[in-house]
Amino acid sequence: MNINLREVICTSRDGDRFWRMPECYIRGSTIKYLRIPDEVIDMVKEEVLQKSKGRGEMRGRGGGPQRGRGGRGAFGSRGGRGGGRGGHPRQGKGRGD
Amino acid sequence: MNYLPGTASLIEEIDKKLLVVLRDGRTLIGFLRSIDQFANLVLHKTIERIHVGQKYGDMPRGIFVVRGENVVLLGEIDLDNENSQPLEQVSIDEILELQHEEQQQKQEEDERKKKALSDRGIFLHSDVQDDYF
Repeated sequence: MNINLREVICTSRDGDRFWRMPECYIRGSTIKYLRIPDEVIDMVKEEVLQKSKGRGEMRGRGGGPQRGRGGRGAFGSRGGRGGGRGGHPRQGKGRGD
Repeated sequence: MNYLPGTASLIEEIDKKLLVVLRDGRTLIGFLRSIDQFANLVLHKTIERIHVGQKYGDMPRGIFVVRGENVVLLGEIDLDNENSQPLEQVSIDEILELQHEEQQQKQEEDERKKKALSDRGIFLHSDVQDDYF
């Protein structure tokens, strides 16, 4: 869940002081939650439709692992990035998340 | 009833209106749109609800991606009985003021406790412990 941010505003604990910085990398384990703009949810829907279409084609040709390619996908598929086994060696190990 | 194992049981709750309590005590109410194997949640049309005693206030918040480890509990909102609860809704300004008073009282109480303990030779580490649990 590590994230890279651009055009960052860093706020002090008490919310009184601010720093502007060009970029910032945040380790996932320190994240509580992300607040994102409303428009994003519409983008997700489009992506899910496209992805499921793509998966259908793959199945038709009889090739490729049936692991989903992101979107909501089947449970247990990695979702998000897709990719095969070992795509995210660190995830689920409780380190470097 | 049959439940799926682990966080997969949350699939049942997708697109339902949920109340989520976080480890820092925040209460979020929104529609669950997505989950993953870590119980990270995506909440849509979220409000943050602040309770003080029998009163509560709602603040519109939008979309949340909540990291699973910060979730204490979540449950479906009973839409039929949502408005027949013994709690009173008040304005955002009022609830923020009540919350501020409550926080100050808690802080004073903590100070008293800390002093009483240190008088008896017990010294607590003064790391700020925000978490409720």
